[in-house]
Amino acid sequence: MSAPQVGAPAPALELPDLDGERVSLADLRGQPVLVSFLRHAG
Amino acid sequence: MKVLYHRQRISEAGATALFVVHDEPELVRRTMLAGLELPFPVLVDLDRTAYAAWGMTRASSLRIWGDPRVWLRYLNTVLHGQRPTRFGADTLQLGGDFVVAADGTIAYARPQRTDDRPPVAELLRALGET
Repeated sequence: MSAPQVGAPAPALELPDLDGERVSLADLRGQPVLVSFLRHAG
Repeated sequence: MKVLYHRQRISEAGATALFVVHDEPELVRRTMLAGLELPFPVLVDLDRTAYAAWGMTRASSLRIWGDPRVWLRYLNTVLHGQRPTRFGADTLQLGGDFVVAADGTIAYARPQRTDDRPPVAELLRALGET
């Protein structure tokens, strides 16, 4: 799958946080969101 | 990642952030978040389902370890008296930065092609322009 292009709907994103609580991008609708996928933790 | 240190400017832009990692939470806390209080969620994607859905690919060893910027960064870390942190599970996984506008569309997209990141100012500008 290729990365989403500017203007396209953002793909769904729902994952657990570090404490195991589910967080969804959809719940943040209404404000700009920086979504940053990190290469590795180090 | 430098943008982690600009959390106040992200908030001042009326925005928020989600950081996604593919390493174990314990390692993330001990390395990336050591000494850092981050007010934004760090999401854990161990099987990299979201990485794949957002088009995050893996690089070749040559592309990562043949990049002099990678070595310069580690040299700079050592020269400043710091110990390089332990790597995560997959050093070849690439990441990327996106700004999702208030209406849910992509306003900025910068998937990594090698071990690079956009300037923080560019990300903040993208957040402020949405």
